[in-house]
Amino acid sequence: MAELKIALAGNPNCGKTTLFNDLTGSNQYVGNWPGVTVEKKDGRLKGHKDVIIQDLPGIYSLSPYTLEEVVSRTYLVNEQPDAILNIVDGTNIERNLYLSTQLIELGIPVVIAVNMIDLVRRNGDQIDLKKLGEAMGCRVVEMSALKGEGSKEAALAALAAARGGEAKELPHVFTGSVEHAIAHIEESIQSRVPERFLRWYAIKLFERDERVMEQLGLDKDNILAEHIEQHIADCEAEMEDDAESIITNQRYAYIHTVVEKAVVKKPRKDNMTVSDRIDQVVTNRVLALPIFAVIMFAVYAIAMGGYPFSIGTMGTDWANDTLFGSIVPGLFDALLLDGTGAPRVAEWLYGLIQDGIVAGVGAVLGFVPQILVLCFLLAILEDVGYMARIAFVMDRIFRRFGLSGKSFIPLLVATGCGVPGIMATRTIEQDRDRKLTIMTTGFIPCGAKLPIIGLFAGAVFGESPWVATSAFFIGIGAVIVSGIILKKTRAFAGEPAPFVMELPAYHAPAWGNVLRATWERGWSFIKRAGTVILISSIILWFLQGYGFVDGVFQAVEDNNHSLLAVIGNALAWIFYPLGWAGDMAWKATVATITGLIAKEEVVNTFGVLYQYAGEVDLMEDSSPIWAAVAADFGAMRAYSFLIFNLLCAPCFAAMGAIKREMNNPKWTAFAIGYMCAFAYAISMIAYQLGGLITGEAVFSLWTVAALAVLAVLLWMLFRPAPKVREEVRFRAAKSAQSA
Amino acid sequence: MMPLSIARPGETVTIQKITGKDEVRQHLAELGFVVGSSVTVVNEIAGNLILQVKESRIALDRTMANRIMI
Repeated sequence: MAELKIALAGNPNCGKTTLFNDLTGSNQYVGNWPGVTVEKKDGRLKGHKDVIIQDLPGIYSLSPYTLEEVVSRTYLVNEQPDAILNIVDGTNIERNLYLSTQLIELGIPVVIAVNMIDLVRRNGDQIDLKKLGEAMGCRVVEMSALKGEGSKEAALAALAAARGGEAKELPHVFTGSVEHAIAHIEESIQSRVPERFLRWYAIKLFERDERVMEQLGLDKDNILAEHIEQHIADCEAEMEDDAESIITNQRYAYIHTVVEKAVVKKPRKDNMTVSDRIDQVVTNRVLALPIFAVIMFAVYAIAMGGYPFSIGTMGTDWANDTLFGSIVPGLFDALLLDGTGAPRVAEWLYGLIQDGIVAGVGAVLGFVPQILVLCFLLAILEDVGYMARIAFVMDRIFRRFGLSGKSFIPLLVATGCGVPGIMATRTIEQDRDRKLTIMTTGFIPCGAKLPIIGLFAGAVFGESPWVATSAFFIGIGAVIVSGIILKKTRAFAGEPAPFVMELPAYHAPAWGNVLRATWERGWSFIKRAGTVILISSIILWFLQGYGFVDGVFQAVEDNNHSLLAVIGNALAWIFYPLGWAGDMAWKATVATITGLIAKEEVVNTFGVLYQYAGEVDLMEDSSPIWAAVAADFGAMRAYSFLIFNLLCAPCFAAMGAIKREMNNPKWTAFAIGYMCAFAYAISMIAYQLGGLITGEAVFSLWTVAALAVLAVLLWMLFRPAPKVREEVRFRAAKSAQSA
Repeated sequence: MMPLSIARPGETVTIQKITGKDEVRQHLAELGFVVGSSVTVVNEIAGNLILQVKESRIALDRTMANRIMI
């Protein structure tokens, strides 16, 4: 039997991915804001190996407005699944059925699943599924994806529809004269399209959809085009409106009559819902920003601060000091050493395992508690629906910097990982805004950069929570400054697209979703520690343990003579202006370069380099590596290193994402080059000028250079914007078409 | 007629007309902003609005809110 494809389609944030996970047993990420899914994903229906379930990004209609909506439309229209399972939010049925009226026209069997039926019942509303089905011309079932109620039945209904093949007869959504015009158009294009799609094409032509016109060759057939245009124009004249609006209004009018027949709403006592009341506080014009700042500070303090309630830090301290400080090395000692304390295996192998692998991988794994706590807290904020509000609150501020509030969501996603953050830019309508956001998303401290922050906060800054918080605000600051600077260049000039966004209803965190999101991010971190980090630990250990001494290749006592030091020293001059000098210079250089593989590598590298350096004092309260790092890095030097590594080119995975989303080698190179240059400039200014104040740096030619760079930056920030008038393009469909 | 952006929080109004480019109008319509539907202003910050239309909550900035006449 041939494979059957069932597509899940519906408005954004109506529960498609929750249903998808339930039906296929996958673990796709679910969030509470519109636009979480930006790519189509497929999985097999549990118990039916031959049925593929396709999860699609949410859409409001089949005329796409943003890029991720293009993905869905293209799939539904061109690849044609065997059936569509249309998920409809039962608490907002009128708006959701608007898309349904379009889906049933596609000529593909449709089953409507009314989701969130538990909330509908709680509100005291009633939906007559049979009447709704009759009016929409398809089968209607009810379910609650979150509770797992009715989802299997919905899938089986869709499967039955797919096996049945033919779509049911369509309801007459439009009034006489419109139906008349559509019938005429159908007649004239009959020979050009398959019969089951006739109505869909006719309606799209009535709306003057350029893409469909081109597809049917109307741009070359003037006679036919004029004939159709005549019918549209006649109808427009009669209705005194334009064709697109006529269709939209009549769809809503039809839905209105359907809902009146099939839905009984319990009258509400009060207009304001609980969500509205919460919104009045958290989006309040005075309190919104302070509330946000307090929440972010609390999140970072709990995850990474040094307070009695900082669970993340406690976990990491334990992992660093006890687990990887004594238990694991002790375990390996018991295995590898004999009674006299001499290794049972070759000396070099013992060194590789203890100093290379345990120290390197351990240094990275030690941060797992902090990362899990941070991801957990952010996942809660996401799941309850707070993130979408922040986009709205930040819009007012971001607009001043030439970005829209929608850019804020990719930035927030990037606090977990830059790769999905960069992909989340697809919800941004305007190409220019999107490019700008892609370029700046990498500035945000992602999960993998947290160990770097944690290392220096602990080793050099006495676990001050301000280091982590300041890292977050340096990231945001870099985004804002870049926004202003780039907006004043010709390529980015112009107003950002107007802000329009649906705000999801607040709900109590769904712990399954929160834990899944936390685990997914934490696990990918652990997985990398076991693979990439493990291998590079071995390579690093070798490179830092061997070298040429007196012309002979041998194991070296002092890793300042190692191969790695040679490589590092050869490149360290690049970073001299950033204050990277002395013994730390080559180590910092190597760490920065390995950081390109994955940002955790930075800490891994320090783990390997400093563990070998030997001076381990386990009696000390803090991690053994900390003391060694603190001895090598002064405060400003550490800060300069921190800034550079937070802002410079992201890891290879994120660069790959930039390349995919930019879809243009020049833009990719520009984005990565810009990030490196910006990081360099800021670190240099921070070290040279900050160091002058703290006494760590002396006045030199580099101070002058830093001042000059600062002056250029300030000029780029404050120069008047060049006047460029150009047509603002909204429909992503157009830019996607030209791409 | 006046633009929606000057409505006060808590007010419920009826849409009379939507102006502006086709694409923007179309997108607003998809979200439920059509002539004749009623809209409640939930909150307002510097002209940016959180609105309740049909059963959903939509955030709009001032330039968009100016296109909706009430």
